[in-house]
Amino acid sequence: MLEVAGLSAGYQGSDVVHDVSFHVEEGETVMIIGSNGAGKTTLFRAITGLLAKSSGVVTFMGIDISALPAQHIVRTGLGFVPAERHLFPRMTVEENLALGAYPERPDPTTLRVVLDLFRRLEERRRQLAGTLSGGEQQMLAVGRALMGKPRLLVLDEPTTGLSPKLAQEAYRALDVLRGEGLTILVAEQQVPLALAISDRGYVLENGVTLLDGTSKELAADPRVRAAYLGVA
Amino acid sequence: MTASILDGIVLGLQFGVLATGLTLVYGLGGVLNLAYGQMSVISAMVVVLATDAGVSLVPAIGLGLLAGALLGLLLDVTILRPVYRLQGEARVLLSLLLSLGVAFIVDGFLNWRLPLESLNIRVGGEAVTILGVRMRMGSLVASGITLLVLAVLFYLFRYTRLGRAIRSVIENEQGARLVGIDPHRMLRIILVLSGILAAIVAVTRSMVAPVSVRAGFSITVLALIATVVGGLGSISGAFLAGLILGIVNSIAASYIGTFLSLIILLVAAALTILIRPAGLLGVRE
Repeated sequence: MLEVAGLSAGYQGSDVVHDVSFHVEEGETVMIIGSNGAGKTTLFRAITGLLAKSSGVVTFMGIDISALPAQHIVRTGLGFVPAERHLFPRMTVEENLALGAYPERPDPTTLRVVLDLFRRLEERRRQLAGTLSGGEQQMLAVGRALMGKPRLLVLDEPTTGLSPKLAQEAYRALDVLRGEGLTILVAEQQVPLALAISDRGYVLENGVTLLDGTSKELAADPRVRAAYLGVA
Repeated sequence: MTASILDGIVLGLQFGVLATGLTLVYGLGGVLNLAYGQMSVISAMVVVLATDAGVSLVPAIGLGLLAGALLGLLLDVTILRPVYRLQGEARVLLSLLLSLGVAFIVDGFLNWRLPLESLNIRVGGEAVTILGVRMRMGSLVASGITLLVLAVLFYLFRYTRLGRAIRSVIENEQGARLVGIDPHRMLRIILVLSGILAAIVAVTRSMVAPVSVRAGFSITVLALIATVVGGLGSISGAFLAGLILGIVNSIAASYIGTFLSLIILLVAAALTILIRPAGLLGVRE
């Protein structure tokens, strides 16, 4: 479904990720794990078109999206929830969700699904997005992406700034979406959470992929255990 | 006093529309258009030339609005192209310098070709007494049109998908791109809209007082003051500031003297910025 081949990207001429290749198949949940500064955000921003790539090819659903700007990529069915969320703070929850469906009119069935998944958003429909708590903003960011009916949902560190309890809640919601057959690609530092819902994963360090394998294999790998799971 | 306030409201409503056009372009694209007043004047001159050529008034006004729209589009596809390649302060600065250049060229050209022209639309009908003040029909029609324009703008931005999309770019450009909105397309639409607003103000203003071929810079300055006082990028702020400044201007003009009213406006603007640096309704990033 998503095929990334030899991707390099960075800022001001100096690459942060180097020659990264990976793929996501339909229906899978794939995680990219790595510590802070490993290049996860740069990688995702390059795939979703927010950042120019210095080389490499990204194919999504058989279309080469390498050169497309972000606003076109999202319309091919690739929804992105960045770590910074990029919500519209002076608009209501409802308006933020409606914009997720742009340029279409928001689909009432999808809206129902989103509000059922995130009950808190239902209660706060008329509240300005900027007044929501961190957890609610994360829900809104995911909800807004879902309103565009993505085939693949890409999330960059969905637990950023959330308490452990809220982080678990966020992953419960992702697990529900995965159960409904949505393909998910998630970058995460909090590896135990991501491991619990992923089928496969890649370990990214210093901008290159060090390891890859099924979640079981990764969980058993001594390097992963030492670096990310706190097991010596 | 009542007369000055009512006159001020008539003027202030128009400042509000002017400032809205300028603030939207800034909020959306980080572009400060100092040729804004000249867009207004060119539209006025199109109406003058059309009526001189025998076109009747309403279609001539239509041509003026069309001219405003085309001028907005023209800026987008010509001098703003290098501006779009820059970001942040460099972008604001280049847009300011280039549009100022355009303003000088347009002003020079108009003063050379049409040195004595002015647009002066006479609206017939008896004066109407409001709150004990006799208001000329022209002022009332101008205000009616302006209020209608403001209502349309309000509806557009609050209730339509396009309006929401435009606001989303002002709020968070990256967020807008992530939901599939092309910021540049929105900016082009807004530049066209600002050209139409500039033309509308030329027309309504000329129902109250002549809009001379030399009015360009004073229109830009008034719009700029209202924009800054209202908070750059804030639509309701620009409108509110326009209204207040219109009233201040009109009271200052009748009690102190027209020659000082611009200075008083600037002082009022400076005080607002000292007290609220982000403007009346502006939000600090």
